[in-house]
Amino acid sequence: MIVCPNCAHVNPAGALTCEACFSPLPQILHTNCPSCGAEVQPGARFCGSCGFDLQQESQPVQVSTEAATPEPSEEVPEPVATPLPDDETDLRSRAPARTQLQQISACLIHVQTETRIELPTSVQVIHIGKPNNLIPPDIDVSGFPDSDIVSRVHGDIRYEGDAFYFEDTGSSNGTYINNVPLPPGNRHRLRAGDRIALGKGDKVSFVFKMG
Amino acid sequence: MRAEITYRLSDPYVDAAQKNSQRQLALTIAAVSQGNEGRVPLNLCLILDRSGSMGGEPLDNVRQAACRLVDALDCRDRLSVIAFDHRPTVVVPNQTVERPESIKEQIQGLRAAGGTCIDEGLRLGLEEWAKGKHQTIGQVFLLTDGENEHGSNERCLKFAQLAAEYNVTLHTLGFGDAWNQDVLEKIADAGGGTMVHIQYPDQAAEEFQWLLRRVQSVGLTDAHLELQMAPNARLAEFKPIAQVAPDTIELVTQTEGNRVRARLGDLMVGVERAVLVNFYIDATSSRVLPGSTPDRQVVGTVQVTYTDPQRPGATLASEGLAVEIQAIAEHRPQMDEEVQGRVLALAKYRQTQLAEAKLQQGDSAGAATLLQTAAKTALQMGDTNAATVLQSSATRLQTGTVLSDAERKQTRIASKTVLRSE
Repeated sequence: MIVCPNCAHVNPAGALTCEACFSPLPQILHTNCPSCGAEVQPGARFCGSCGFDLQQESQPVQVSTEAATPEPSEEVPEPVATPLPDDETDLRSRAPARTQLQQISACLIHVQTETRIELPTSVQVIHIGKPNNLIPPDIDVSGFPDSDIVSRVHGDIRYEGDAFYFEDTGSSNGTYINNVPLPPGNRHRLRAGDRIALGKGDKVSFVFKMG
Repeated sequence: MRAEITYRLSDPYVDAAQKNSQRQLALTIAAVSQGNEGRVPLNLCLILDRSGSMGGEPLDNVRQAACRLVDALDCRDRLSVIAFDHRPTVVVPNQTVERPESIKEQIQGLRAAGGTCIDEGLRLGLEEWAKGKHQTIGQVFLLTDGENEHGSNERCLKFAQLAAEYNVTLHTLGFGDAWNQDVLEKIADAGGGTMVHIQYPDQAAEEFQWLLRRVQSVGLTDAHLELQMAPNARLAEFKPIAQVAPDTIELVTQTEGNRVRARLGDLMVGVERAVLVNFYIDATSSRVLPGSTPDRQVVGTVQVTYTDPQRPGATLASEGLAVEIQAIAEHRPQMDEEVQGRVLALAKYRQTQLAEAKLQQGDSAGAATLLQTAAKTALQMGDTNAATVLQSSATRLQTGTVLSDAERKQTRIASKTVLRSE
């Protein structure tokens, strides 16, 4: 089951494009370890089963990952009728590299305490949860009220292309995006204004903001 | 005259080790002329709205447009004209166009008054059309400028379905900006026809002529698509079959197990219908159709049944076409660009529909995002006119204003078809 990040239609396994809106779907690719044949996650350095060094073999793995992932729609040229930016911003947006950082900045606002948490774009995955000895959280929510309903390893925010995605990495009490439960293993493409509630009851909630 | 089908797959190869691969099948169907066959006469029925709101310039233009249509018809063609307000009247009884001047005189006598009841107009139009239905190509143009205030939209849809059963094609023309795009789209979709937007009164003649040329190219009628999927293939769960050219229509299908049947309506010469089928295939399965080899699998067979107005009474069928896919080891995706274009056409329509659903729920930010996605899709398929319309609608919603009636119509038409450039 794959939930479309664009229209939230629930697609059956194996779908490459959404059955409802025909947007490309995120593919969870599993490659096999060339040594023992066990399934490994894309981007893994070592096989979890036999310890084989996958970096040596990274060439073929990378090619298949690239080829099978549908082109993100963000590659399309800018929409035609967007109002032209005024001269000042125009000049700034032409300056390379530096603008990249200015353009894409995102943050989470904790609703109950109005705390602002900047999201780094320098890393691909941001772990959200509470201190534990498996996956230390990048965003530690243990200081917020009612944090006892949040799992230690609760969810991830992934930054890919120009977009942020939220995924629940197997929390006990679940994650609700705009009050709709997010099935474990599925990702939601975050849009400005999305409300992410960790656990039930909307007690530890964040609003996603961009720019 | 015979029907011709061709097919392309979104990717002609599939990984032989994959149990579940998604592919799209694009079918193109057109009528092909064999030698010099004469054109079959049309049996055209105009159902014109003459309610009070049509008074003045609008009705003047419609009268002129109808008269120019009479001039463009052949003396063997049949014509009938119905005018309706809250009740319908026969303006021109069903007859061959032998004396165009007297027909035009009758059309010039149209005066505007009263309310709007589309279903009564449709009922009388179909009745009048049926008087000359033998050995002709049946076409109805329904023109209205407003809501169906004295009638029932349900009943309109019933008549449209009835028209399809009688093998007459129903086109709708929305005049101005106050008509209901949901109702007219449903009528045209059910009646196998096209929905046309006449935004300004002086475009009426041009749009009538365009639609006339379209119906004059009809060669075969009452076409049905029959698709039999292989045991190792299954159709997508959600709306697996849609027409994507010349207009996008969610086809009504009858499904029995792995067999699907859908009505396409008229087949034209030179204007192909394209149908997109979304399915999954298990390349590892041994339950395949006859004719398959391990590396060349038959995904399904396709056939079109139709009637030829020159040979009345007989239901004809095209030859069965086997859709094949190559199963290979170490598969790398190879997208077929033509099919990709078809997929984008459907994506543009569906994304706009989703945006409209969001708008109805009052979520205008969500609608704007989806419209923007649809605009990008339109750009990707090279439909810059639609991209402009969809993007300007998205921008309008983002600035917090509502879409005007005209913009709603333009958005719908832009999503449904590739806009003709001015």
